[in-house]
Amino acid sequence: MKFKNLLLYLTSLIAFLLVWELYCQLIVRNPMFLPPSSRVFATFIELMIFGRPPSFFLPYDMLYSLFHYSIGFSLALIVGFSMGLITGWIKLANELSYPIIELIRPIPPIAWIPITILMLKLTDAAAGFIIFIGAVFPMLLNTRHGVASVEVRYLEAAMTLGATSSLTLIRKIVIPAALPSIMTGIRVSSGVAWMCVVAAELFGVAPYGLGYKIDLARFYLATDIIIAYMIAIGILGLMLDRVYRAIEEKALAWRVGLVIA
Amino acid sequence: MSLREVVLSVRGLKKVFEGSPSVVAIESLNMDVYDGEFLCIVGPSGCGKTTLLRILAGLEKPTSGEVLLKGKPIKGPGPDRVMVFQEYSLFPWRTVLGNVMFGLELKGLSRQEAIREAMKYIMLVGLEGFENMYPHELSGGMKQRVALARALACNPDVLLMDEPLSALDAQTRNYMQEELIKIWDRTRKTIIFVTHNVEEAVYLGDRVMVLTARPAKIKSTIEVNIERPRNRFASEFLKLRMKILDMLREEIEKVMIRSNHSLRP
Ligand SMILES: Nc1ncnc2c1ncn2[C@@H]1O[C@H](COP(=O)(O)OP(=O)(O)OP(=O)(O)O)[C@@H](O)[C@H]1O
Ligand SMILES: [Mg+2]
Repeated sequence: MKFKNLLLYLTSLIAFLLVWELYCQLIVRNPMFLPPSSRVFATFIELMIFGRPPSFFLPYDMLYSLFHYSIGFSLALIVGFSMGLITGWIKLANELSYPIIELIRPIPPIAWIPITILMLKLTDAAAGFIIFIGAVFPMLLNTRHGVASVEVRYLEAAMTLGATSSLTLIRKIVIPAALPSIMTGIRVSSGVAWMCVVAAELFGVAPYGLGYKIDLARFYLATDIIIAYMIAIGILGLMLDRVYRAIEEKALAWRVGLVIA
Repeated sequence: MSLREVVLSVRGLKKVFEGSPSVVAIESLNMDVYDGEFLCIVGPSGCGKTTLLRILAGLEKPTSGEVLLKGKPIKGPGPDRVMVFQEYSLFPWRTVLGNVMFGLELKGLSRQEAIREAMKYIMLVGLEGFENMYPHELSGGMKQRVALARALACNPDVLLMDEPLSALDAQTRNYMQEELIKIWDRTRKTIIFVTHNVEEAVYLGDRVMVLTARPAKIKSTIEVNIERPRNRFASEFLKLRMKILDMLREEIEKVMIRSNHSLRP
């Protein structure tokens, strides 16, 4: 079963690379316009191991982007979770915050870049802030939804069993009951954060990072580097998602029907 | 009767749900519950049985009147009056053991003590071997056993049960009634048990309290002086059952006549 899946994955991947290769070799025939997959693969390996002057070295840029991601994402988790908990639990807090949240939420993170750079200059903090803006809303909304829809019967059962303070109810009932939504929030928020990393770095907040280098490569007309960096962005994003999925599955083992083959 | 100690008493209880129209659910209800007794409450559908239990549990505030537990007025919900609900209210994120430990954790027992104590009650309801399962892996009857164990583990003065067996099929239900009596016999907890089912009430109760149609008042309280284990087909059992069914029919007819009047143009 597992093996068959792997075989299918590999088949589709190889087919894709093959079409790409043939298309470039037979039709495009201009590596600066679009290099074939074999060339990109070689470049990827080269950039992973040796790097290429002046400053293209994938492992370092990956770490640097993960650093930006961590600033923005951890901030988004903390703020999104706390605000989601408060607004989901206290009706008044929800009503007061609702118009503000709904007004700010549709502003895309990219629209925040100019003002962020003016206020925080070209710093890692600026990148962190843009990522935070993108990632905080999915976390907040999912947490709020999870907390607000905790079933009353669980709360009442807990109350008659001796859970009298709000703090106990939140710790013992609300958070575990809302965990499925909270986990979804973490996963969606992480995905948005990763997209914002690239957007933030494109504007040169730091001389390193995948987003910055992908744009730098454009000046060198090094299309193979651009694509190799794109692939690195894809792979890291996929890995992050897998990590949160694994955590989610572990934390929600009690849920019916979560066991998906 | 007068020798027995009153553990819970209700005085002049009235409950109105404000709204349009307002609903008077309970009207001037007085009752005494004796220590260690198994009290069953039956009444027509929608008469206010759940409301009464919720007030006793402290989940609902009375409009007027008071509820005294061992002479002291109750203040909100608490583990001295644990409620077992009709719908399954087990915490799905906790295992059987975790559910039964819930009240014990809140009492500040150490993890070791809580586990030891919880296992006693899991054994009492006959679920040893299932302690690491999650609620969704259990049958309906097993779930209600867990709910019972979880409630008993709190060592409440009064156990409130709102139609806890009504979601079960007939065989499981009879079996659970027998089990419940055994457990009650061993723990001698005071139990207030609400049911729709007159046979169930006569099988389980020391007394059966019959409520009127809404607003709920006490129509009659009947002593069940039948030796346990009770035979559901013995003539005294059937006679008592008929008597209570007749009372209920009277109440249901009242509701019908009332609604016929209101339907008249
Ligand atoms: N929260 C509430 N708000 C308004 N009315 C309510 C509320 N809870 C109950 N009622 C009304 O009070 C009356 C009594 O309801 P209750 O649930 O106590 O009846 P019951 O005897 O338990 O019914 P059943 O036999 O169907 O379980 C009903 O008419 C119901 O509509
Ligand atoms: Mg009811």
